Amino acid sequence: MVMGASGTPTNADQGSGSPLRDGPGARTRRELGRGLLGSVAALALAPVVAASRPPSPGRKARHTDTFFDETYRGRRIRGMLLPLMAGAPAGAEWQITVDGRPLHLMRRADGTWLSMVDHYQSYRTPLEATRAAVDELGPGQRLRDLAPGPVGGWHAHTGGHYGVRA
Amino acid sequence: MAYVRKNASKLTRTERRRFVKAMLEIKRRGVYDEFVRTHIAYFGADGENGLRTAHMAPSFLPWHRRFLLELERALRRVDSSVTVPYWDWTRDRTTRSVPWTKDLLGGNGRRSDRQVTTGPFAYSAGHWTIKEGVTDGAFLTRDLGRSRHPIKLPTAAELKSALDDPVYDVSPWDSTVTHGFRNRLEGWGRGSGSSSWRNHNRVHRWVGGVMLGGASVNDPVFWLHHAFIDLQWTRWQRRHHNHRYLPARPPGPRSAQHRRIVARHEKLPPWDVTPDQLEDMSRVYRYV
Repeated sequence: MVMGASGTPTNADQGSGSPLRDGPGARTRRELGRGLLGSVAALALAPVVAASRPPSPGRKARHTDTFFDETYRGRRIRGMLLPLMAGAPAGAEWQITVDGRPLHLMRRADGTWLSMVDHYQSYRTPLEATRAAVDELGPGQRLRDLAPGPVGGWHAHTGGHYGVRA
Repeated sequence: MAYVRKNASKLTRTERRRFVKAMLEIKRRGVYDEFVRTHIAYFGADGENGLRTAHMAPSFLPWHRRFLLELERALRRVDSSVTVPYWDWTRDRTTRSVPWTKDLLGGNGRRSDRQVTTGPFAYSAGHWTIKEGVTDGAFLTRDLGRSRHPIKLPTAAELKSALDDPVYDVSPWDSTVTHGFRNRLEGWGRGSGSSSWRNHNRVHRWVGGVMLGGASVNDPVFWLHHAFIDLQWTRWQRRHHNHRYLPARPPGPRSAQHRRIVARHEKLPPWDVTPDQLEDMSRVYRYV
């Protein structure tokens, strides 16, 4: 027995395409991320470009309410508050990198922050969330850029380039 | 006829073998990684804009119920005898108990890099390479019990406190609510620190490694954990006959939650199904 698209049991698979397909109009984080990147491309990329420069020797940790730059457990973490763009997800105004790779943060309704690495707990500040993400990175592991950008083949509107028919 | 989902500790050796084999087969076919991508794409937080379906929302339970059904459907196309077992973490609580055995999910990650090196999902076994991860690591990782600052799995008493709440969910229907079965089970607490993770969230934390991140589906224990969470919804329904999924109707245009959550009779993306249609699974499967 399998589940039909209506959520009711059916006895045969109708081959109706991906069971993970999306409805029209749904907006995923990736789409929102792409929109943000497109609208503020130069601005949004600035800290990423800056973070990819090699750290200067003897550099000290610097923190303000809108910026941080430090080495934490051997990883260079940088964050910068950007002007909030119309239509951008609320958490997207912080651009964060760990060793030059973007770390996506999300915001909870209580104002705390969580990251893609540590997704089931939140932290008071973007800096705390970034340090917590570093705590969970294994030796030699680097972040993958999950969003934004051309990621994988899955897309909400097309219902998946990867067929899920087994 | 409804099929049966069993406690992982009650599976026969053959059942364990067939479950593992079906999982490895859908991974080989590329089907499994689509489930990983879907979970990443649908993890929207409540401090952001847009519709929330999978987490920090009333539809946490029906969304994962449907997600499990899709996984189970893929497994059963490979082997029609297979169903998703559940891990009762109120009983099987150590790093060596079920499901962390060599013939099921394999054990803890090793100390140096948290890599799982035992069982069928170990990278070295050659069948479980992580392709849709938060990091570029190709191997499954675990840190059972969180070695740096040890924590315990949620207790039966903590789970009971969720089941005892007769109201399914309450306004504002997000991660800040302190009442209602849904968030008591999903487990968003106030602030940070050990006391802020309960039940569902705490189990993700306890397993650690990839289970802690947005790509948690990469650890097959995700399904055994969520089958147990799904069982709690069924138990709650039995305990509170007169209560149902809430909200029954969508929040109005003046509500901050307008179009942010899925009401009982609204479609639950990415599927063409409503929470109402997912409340009663008795014709599809049952738990033993």
